[in-house]
Parts: sequence; structure tokens; C-alpha cells
Amino acid sequence: MRRWIVLAAFVIVAGCLLLGGARMRPFGAPRFDLMDRYFNAWSQTETAANNVVTAVVFDYRGYDTLGEATVLFTAVIGVALILRRLKR
Amino acid sequence: MTLLAILQVVILVLIVAGSILAVWLKDLLASVIALAGSSLLLALQFYLLQAPDVAIAEAGVGAALTTAIFVLAIRKTQRKEEE
Amino acid sequence: MSVVVRTIARILVPVILAFGGYVILHGHLTPGGGFQGGAVAASAVALLLVAFGAPSLKKLKSPLSVLEDLGGIAFVVLAFLGIGTTFFFNLLAGSGGLFGAASPIGPNAGFLNTGGTVPLMNWAVGFKVLGGLGAVMVLFGLFGGDDDR
Repeated sequence: MRRWIVLAAFVIVAGCLLLGGARMRPFGAPRFDLMDRYFNAWSQTETAANNVVTAVVFDYRGYDTLGEATVLFTAVIGVALILRRLKR
Repeated sequence: MTLLAILQVVILVLIVAGSILAVWLKDLLASVIALAGSSLLLALQFYLLQAPDVAIAEAGVGAALTTAIFVLAIRKTQRKEEE
Repeated sequence: MSVVVRTIARILVPVILAFGGYVILHGHLTPGGGFQGGAVAASAVALLLVAFGAPSLKKLKSPLSVLEDLGGIAFVVLAFLGIGTTFFFNLLAGSGGLFGAASPIGPNAGFLNTGGTVPLMNWAVGFKVLGGLGAVMVLFGLFGGDDDR
């Protein structure tokens, strides 16, 4: 019984992945490219940075980078709390 | 099928082989090295898919820092896996 | 570790730190940025830790933690610079001061003196990632007393 459930789950997940791979669009041609065209056209005049990825990460989507920095800070605090050396 | 597509298929097969080897090996140090090689091949695949930023991050974090932390943990504990 | 590993680590650590600094410094021109350069520079700390052992790096623990805090504070302060318009507004871009030159439009190699607050935020996040990951690895190495080999 359990083996059949595992086999059915495997077949369903593999079929969905193969279906998605078969219907994939060609490389470099996404369906919605409005924001791509905006960033490529305006990032050099608005942020004066040539690397569009860095302009998006540090200027247009700065809140995302702030959240990532907070995650790293919390992780370091957790490790330092757990692995601290107790004074005896 | 162009040469680039054949190279990408070879790299993906090697990634899966390295991951299976990392689970299957009993020597934990060799398992960590297999995982690092798999991660480095994943960084090469990111570079071939025109994402050099993600490739640098993957090579720095996946291949260097994770390996160092696992090696430190193996040095504190034991090297062989028990049944 | 053996003498071979220690000698090669002494040669390789300045090269790795220089490459991390290059990735952070040219983050607004070439692929890379703060997080990538910080991770590359933190791998130098990992190499030192594996080659020389954790007890010789014990005095490096508090400077790395302080570096992480300073990087986070500098990032938030740079984000608050443009609070007159919005949070994370690029105030220094095109102003003519530090990193304030205008970038030429179209495909070009770029100049280092452009970008506004983007290169400064790159340095802040780079130092933050270097300090955070390095402090985590040094703490992992120092945990549990002495090594058995």
C-alpha cells in the first residue's frame, strides 16, 4: 500500500516537471518583460551604475537587501548565543 | 543539438552523480569533497546560463564556506559514519 | 595541518583577499557586488582556520563581530541619506561629488567614479558579510575545546 502511494506521488511530480519543461519558452524570452525593458533603459540615468543587477539590488529593491542583511545579522547572533564559552 | 547543450547535459549528469556519491559514501571527508565538487559544477552551470553574479555567490558560499564548516565539524567529531 | 598546507595558505590568503576587494570595488561595473565579494573574502578566513587551527585565530573573533555591526550601521545610514525623497533614494548619483559622475548611456566599460550610493553600499554589505561569515566560522572552530589532532 505504502509503496503504491510513493510510486503515484513520484509519477505525478515527475509528470508535472516534464510537462513544464516541454512547454518552456526559449531561453532569454520571458512572457512578461516590462520591468526588464524599464531597467535596461533607465538604470544608467537614474542610478549612474553600469551593472544593472547591482542597481536593482541596491537601489530599486533596497528593502530586499535590508531584509537579507537582517537575516544574516540574526543568524550570527543565534550562532554566537548558542556557541558561546560559559565562564566558570 | 549544439556543443553548449551537450556540455550542459554532461554538467547536469555530473551534478546528480556527485550528489548521489555524497549520500552513498561512508567516509565523511570524501563525502564533503564530493558535495563541494557538485556545488562547483553547479556554479559552472549558472555561469553557462548567463548569471555570473549567482555563479560567484554559489562558488564562494557553496564550495568554500560550507566545505570549511563541514571539515571543522568532522575534525571535532569522528570521520567514519556508523551503521 | 601539515607544512605544505600552511605554506600554500600563507601565499594564497593575500591573493584571495585582493580578489574579494576587487569584486566589491568594481561591484557597480562588473558582475559581483557586496555579498559575493564578502563571501570570497570570508573564504580566506576559512582557509586560515583550516590550515592553522582555531586557537591561533581567537583574537580575530571580536574584530570580526565589530566589523559586522559597523557594516550594518553604515548600510542603514546610507539608506537614510535619501529620506528627503524616499527611503533608499540614490542622493549622490550625478551630484558631482564622491562617486557622483554621470555614467555614459549605452554599452560601455564604465568609470569607477560613478554610481552614487551604490559603491558605498557595496562596501558596507561586503564588510558585513565578511565579518558575519568569518565570525560564525571562528565560533564554530572554537567550540568544544581542543582539537583531537
